[in-house]
Amino acid sequence: MTNPAALPADWRDFLALTKPRVMSLVVFSGLCGMLVAPVQLPPALGFTAILCIAIGAGACGALNQWYEVDVDAKMRRTAKRPLPAGRMERQSALHFGVGLAGFSVLLMGLATNWLAATLLAASILFYVLVYTVWLKPRTAQNIVIGGAAGAFPPLIGWVAATGHVATLPLLLFAIIFLWTPPHFWALSLFVRSDYAAAGIPMLPVVAGVESTRRQIFLYSLPMAGAAVAPWPLGLAGLVYGVCAAVLSFVFLVLATRVAANRASDAAGMDAEKHLFAFSVFYLFALFAVLVADRWLPW
Amino acid sequence: MAAMVRADDEVVRKRQRDRARIMALLLGAFVVLMFFITIAKTGMNW
Repeated sequence: MTNPAALPADWRDFLALTKPRVMSLVVFSGLCGMLVAPVQLPPALGFTAILCIAIGAGACGALNQWYEVDVDAKMRRTAKRPLPAGRMERQSALHFGVGLAGFSVLLMGLATNWLAATLLAASILFYVLVYTVWLKPRTAQNIVIGGAAGAFPPLIGWVAATGHVATLPLLLFAIIFLWTPPHFWALSLFVRSDYAAAGIPMLPVVAGVESTRRQIFLYSLPMAGAAVAPWPLGLAGLVYGVCAAVLSFVFLVLATRVAANRASDAAGMDAEKHLFAFSVFYLFALFAVLVADRWLPW
Repeated sequence: MAAMVRADDEVVRKRQRDRARIMALLLGAFVVLMFFITIAKTGMNW
């Protein structure tokens, strides 16, 4: 039987390194940031900007997996990834990630503007160096500060179109930034044993289940405020305001159920699973409504 | 033993072929993309 590591890696494994599912949310939020901007790019440049955001996100995924190969090998959820499963050499993942990062930043600068390229470079560096290398293995606040990396795409999309930063994209940044802790902590509650086994100091592992549930609820409050804010500030219309209020209300109800849950094993954590699933829908729906509000003649 | 080596060779060749094809496709797509970026940046109307 051939040793998989001795073979050239399959192209599907390179694709898996980019974490395509995570990329979809990044691309979507970047696209929304671009579509709500007051200036519209020519389609070829708009497509290129989104492509660069996607490639930048792929670079983050690859570099994250290159750095965390030992941790990934200890968790059921990640053990089958190309590196811990031994289907690819570690060096290949590093070269692939650095190559994608450099290519995405350069192409973004050439196709749109260098402020967007700088923001893209900052988001990649923040995700890899600040989140993956520095915060994640050291502090339970890893998701809180590291969440900023995932909040960049709508800002980058907006800046790619306009060339400058404004209030609305900063609010979109704030929404994702404040959404990230409840989203990841809900997940980390029902996969807590995995994180504990891998030695990652996620909040449920360090501060306990009850404290995490309380934090989820507390972070959901400013997140809901940031989500509704574009409407009273005159940056979005009534349709967005109503939809954001309803979606945020449901989010808060689910976060309240999480805060009230007393189960300590994953089997009793339906409230956390529901919140995690809804949180993904919430962000997609919120951004989709914002774009619809901007473009549709209500 | 020799048959096993040939089978391994075949797997390596297949992966190299697949990767070369993907690379060719990506480079072709990049050339097309650069063409359209140039058209858009120069403001030419097609």
